[in-house]
Amino acid sequence: MSPSKQKLAAPAAVQPLSVDMRELTRVGARPGFLDYLVQLWDFRQFIFYDARARVQSGTRRDRLGSAWLLLNPVFNGLTYYVIFGLLLNTSGGIDNFLGYLIVGLFLFQFSAGAITAGARSIGSNKSVVQAFSFPRAALPIGANLREVLAAVPLVLAMLFLIVVLPPGETIGPLWLLIFPALVLQSLFNLGVGLILARVISRFNDVTHLLPFAIRAWMYGSAVFYSYDRLITHPVLLDLLEMNPLFNVIDIVRDCVLYDRLPEWQSWANLAAFSLGSLLVGLFYFWQGEEKYGRN
Amino acid sequence: MAATEETVFVDGSPCVVLDAVRMSYTVPTTAHVPAANMGLVGKAVRKLMGHQDNVRVDALNEISIVVERGESVGIIGRNGSGKSTMMKLISGQESPVSGAVYASSTPIMLGVNAALVPDLSGDQNIVLGCLAMGMDRAAIGEKFDSIVALSGLAKAIHLPMKTYSSGMGSRLRFAIAASVNPEILLVDEALNTGDAQFIDRSTARMAELRQNAGCVFIVSHSLQTIQDMCSRVFWLDYGDLIMDGAPLETTAAYKSFTDHLAKGNKISAALIKDEARANLVATQVLPRISGRRKVDDR
Repeated sequence: MSPSKQKLAAPAAVQPLSVDMRELTRVGARPGFLDYLVQLWDFRQFIFYDARARVQSGTRRDRLGSAWLLLNPVFNGLTYYVIFGLLLNTSGGIDNFLGYLIVGLFLFQFSAGAITAGARSIGSNKSVVQAFSFPRAALPIGANLREVLAAVPLVLAMLFLIVVLPPGETIGPLWLLIFPALVLQSLFNLGVGLILARVISRFNDVTHLLPFAIRAWMYGSAVFYSYDRLITHPVLLDLLEMNPLFNVIDIVRDCVLYDRLPEWQSWANLAAFSLGSLLVGLFYFWQGEEKYGRN
Repeated sequence: MAATEETVFVDGSPCVVLDAVRMSYTVPTTAHVPAANMGLVGKAVRKLMGHQDNVRVDALNEISIVVERGESVGIIGRNGSGKSTMMKLISGQESPVSGAVYASSTPIMLGVNAALVPDLSGDQNIVLGCLAMGMDRAAIGEKFDSIVALSGLAKAIHLPMKTYSSGMGSRLRFAIAASVNPEILLVDEALNTGDAQFIDRSTARMAELRQNAGCVFIVSHSLQTIQDMCSRVFWLDYGDLIMDGAPLETTAAYKSFTDHLAKGNKISAALIKDEARANLVATQVLPRISGRRKVDDR
């Protein structure tokens, strides 16, 4: 404040004005939850366009361009294969360990990427948030849609590798079941992303914790070892098998590697987590609607 | 204390109502803040947490305003007087610390600050910006060419936004924001960017928008612009409303205030300000709720 600020004279008079407020709405006010969902639907073209445009521009700076969408998980898989498959030999007792590892890694990377992108979508689009008024959930949804679009070649590559690499699995009718599994996985990613997006917009410190949490989660999702072999305590095993990401990976492995029908408990658990997190995420995110993008 | 006049009933529905709006920011400062009301323990804890000294900056003191349909409101004042804060509050970019802003439809801020996505090309940014303002693809298709023409970017529209010069960027932002016909239009000194050719084009588009709009708010340092375009002028100083009146009188008072300041006559300048303030008739909003109200108070 300036030192030259002096006490200001009071106004000469106060004129009370009676104003008809019926036609007015509070600027920036949060609509009801259902209205909010309707608004989101009205902004679907924005969400789609945002997602598509950014998939294309995401890797433009690299020489190999979109090829990195594939090369990334491939290199990742190689690294883990060398360390866990060859050096530490955690593969004992697992049929087709290479395929086991590929499915685990590719699917985990999809979730990790989508959740991180969703969680950071408000912070990284702060300027757009401040410039335009639209339902803010459009941003985490757009970020997740972007990851889904980017995951299409990823999943195709995953299946291709499984068919080509020894022992070479054959394509069967059970492979169709991976689609509902991936849809449920995407919904789960979105729900968690929405929750984290609001948490991070409030406490930015959480961004620093996110990579650690995701790494811990990866080690807990049986990506490059099998639960049964390391964990003997039945209650702990039950708890770990509640992990929705483990369910997705397990379901896809059953379908494409081992040609057996996934257990209905896995589906039920996954569906409950996906729809539950989506509903909680949308509701929780909506509650903070007026606060996003503010300093 | 100021006298209270008899209540006046505003006919019809106004465009914008600021009801006892106050805005302040808490910002870190490098100046030493005397921690008078804090004990030794408090100081030690603050030090341990690595807390910076914060000060509260009152950007806008409690203010109530009713703007009716058809009014063009100019806002003048020195730098840091709260002009831009007021615009941000009306446009919904910031929410007030207390009080509330009511509007009859979503106000659109027409400025050069509407930020876009640097990695996307100009044409992608046009589509994205228009979608974010709630247009559908058909409407964007119709307006696309006129937006490109207004921005004057020609072939550069296909290049990524991050390769643009700052002038090109602000022209594109203006063109996108100017593509809708808002009922409530906010203009934050958008008229003075770009080359002469762009100024002509943007001034013409501005005039069109003002004619179609229900009410307009303009912030400008150019008193001539304010006199030409406005029907009512607010003079703000240090976050306080000093004067609310006709364009000629208000700009004249403000002009003589700044002239005195420029000459170093702080005392006579303060007198002009005090006199203007002492004649101000402040507003108090009494919401009249006949029937159902759209939004509940918090």
